[in-house]
Amino acid sequence: MRILLVEDDELLGAGIRDALARAHCSVEWALDGRQALAALRAGEFDLVVLDLGLPGIDGIEVLRSLRAGGGVTPVLVLSARDTPPERVLGLDEGADDYMVKPFDVDELLARARALQRRQRGAAVNVIDHGRLRLDPASLSVTCEGRAVPLQRREFMLLHKLLQSAGQVLSRAQLEESVYGWSDGVESNSLDVHIHRLRRKLYPEVIRTVRGVGYVADPPA
Amino acid sequence: MPAMPPRAISIRALLLAGIGAVLLVVLGPAAWLSYSGSEEEAQELFDARLATSARVLEALVARQLERATIAAPIVLALPAPLESYGHDQPGPLGHYYETKIAFQVRDAAGRLLARSASAHEAPFAPLEAGFSTRPIAEWSWRVFSLRSGEVWIQVAERDDVRDEMSQKIAFAAAAPLLAGIPLILVLVTLLVRRGLTPLSELVRQVAARQPGSVEPLALVQAPAEISPLVDALNGLLERVRAALERERRFTADAAHELRTPLAALKVHAQNAVRASSAEEREASLQRMLQGLERTVHLAEQMLAYSRAANSAQAPGSVRLLALLGEAVEAIRPLAQERGAKVNVVAAAGLEALAVRGERHQLLSLVTNLLDNAIRYGPPGGRVEVSLGLDGDGAVLGVADQGPGIPPGLRERIFESYYRIPGSGGAGSGLGLSIVKEIAEAHGARVEVHDGPGGRGTRIVVRFAALERHAPVARTMPVATSQERQ
Repeated sequence: MRILLVEDDELLGAGIRDALARAHCSVEWALDGRQALAALRAGEFDLVVLDLGLPGIDGIEVLRSLRAGGGVTPVLVLSARDTPPERVLGLDEGADDYMVKPFDVDELLARARALQRRQRGAAVNVIDHGRLRLDPASLSVTCEGRAVPLQRREFMLLHKLLQSAGQVLSRAQLEESVYGWSDGVESNSLDVHIHRLRRKLYPEVIRTVRGVGYVADPPA
Repeated sequence: MPAMPPRAISIRALLLAGIGAVLLVVLGPAAWLSYSGSEEEAQELFDARLATSARVLEALVARQLERATIAAPIVLALPAPLESYGHDQPGPLGHYYETKIAFQVRDAAGRLLARSASAHEAPFAPLEAGFSTRPIAEWSWRVFSLRSGEVWIQVAERDDVRDEMSQKIAFAAAAPLLAGIPLILVLVTLLVRRGLTPLSELVRQVAARQPGSVEPLALVQAPAEISPLVDALNGLLERVRAALERERRFTADAAHELRTPLAALKVHAQNAVRASSAEEREASLQRMLQGLERTVHLAEQMLAYSRAANSAQAPGSVRLLALLGEAVEAIRPLAQERGAKVNVVAAAGLEALAVRGERHQLLSLVTNLLDNAIRYGPPGGRVEVSLGLDGDGAVLGVADQGPGIPPGLRERIFESYYRIPGSGGAGSGLGLSIVKEIAEAHGARVEVHDGPGGRGTRIVVRFAALERHAPVARTMPVATSQERQ
């Protein structure tokens, strides 16, 4: 899952980034409203975790700007503003969920998964894909009931492909979901991960569409 | 009801007692004068009537008797007393009072020629012209003797009857004066009660107050004497309301401000618990410690602000130069951490320069200024601290080499929890609020200027109240530079 984290407090931001990374999410971190808007214009995200009390452009403004531009990315507000009118304002301006600081990390991750599965129209976290089953909560993958240990980036790549099953994804889209903007991407590393996934699971799990990208075909 | 304090003065009782006393002092003698004057007049009136009776008798009877030769005195029966008549009502036949006169007519030798039936045979009085008062039988009588040719006419009237009547007349004249006193007191009571109604209403309103109800007292048509009290109470209520509002906002803000540091602590704690390696756990714990330090600092600043805002200043004499030295010493660990250099410059002879104030509060003021200057200045920067005189006031300046404060924000930086956007989230946002609170409590003014050469910020605190223990050599502009660190 690719997440845009918007938080001006460096210590808190670092903690949330670490927690999300451990849940095999790819995190971009914006320290103020301006950076957040720039990141939203530059890339695609599965979720925005948004603080409201930001220097310069307030979080509510960021939210309005995103929704005004037609952005449908789920937004989870994470704020110290705890009064009901403030929560109502946040939700009515387009937030999909609202959590008050201090919060529980596990709950944040669970709510992020909930927003994610609604995004693809599912009611449960687990993705069943033929012989495969991927559980984003326990970060586990099984193939015909057999647990398959995957590296972090392999899991992220498989997750991205399975949640968009039947849809051809470009190399750029896949690289963006696996690597953050700050990580260096070696030219052939995506191929390496795909190769390993085919080897650990089964070769037909990912089909190469020449000149376009890759797709996980829906099971027959 | 709490016990009334002893000897509480009641305005109503005071007014009633006072007016009662005044009325007695004024009307009492007036009534007495009226009484005694009326009685005297009545007595004179009775004397005149007695004399008139004698002359009427002379005209009608005495002259005939002079030439008469009689063996026995003539006794004239006057009409019986008109007992059926009331004492106060004249009737068609006369008046109840008319019957009390007796008379005797004697020749020059004193032999009784005629008398009224009501008179004794014994002489009323010696044969001397004029008025006299005689005891005759068991009564005292007023007698008028008139010589008419060879005969004497003596007319007498019982004193007790005269006295009773004259007293009645005098009492009728004086009584209304005294009778007015209770009536006046009743009217005054009603007036006082009416006048004190607004006060009772005020008492009712104040008694009905809850501890938190601070809206102004509303008294319709407060009298001139009570409206200053209402105004003063409303002024107090307004100050209480402002203080409560400030407390409420501070508490609400504090709860809000604590959320982010606490959230950071919790995230790093949970990360540490769920860490998959010793290195990860170590990193999370390190960040947790950072977060703890920040939270402790915030809590301390909140406490300092609360103390500064509610300081019951117990003033002493605080020497500013010594205070600066102490503050620089206290801030040394932070200065070392940031590689900052703190330089104190004071004009000569200011060692004894002192202000009246609370030492701990003033130390907190200076320490907060230094802390800010070091925190927002560049690493390895210089902080210039200066102490000087301006007229009769002491001027304390702290200059940093930080990014400076835009003129538009120079008021806002004193608001509690305000941080300049982009200045990093590490500060509590309370430092300058604390400085301002303490300065105001000490009658000092805080100003924000550009730093030396237009770079950075220079915060200046001007103390008005100045105390000097030793003469200050103001004519010696030689600066002594004390390099610290």
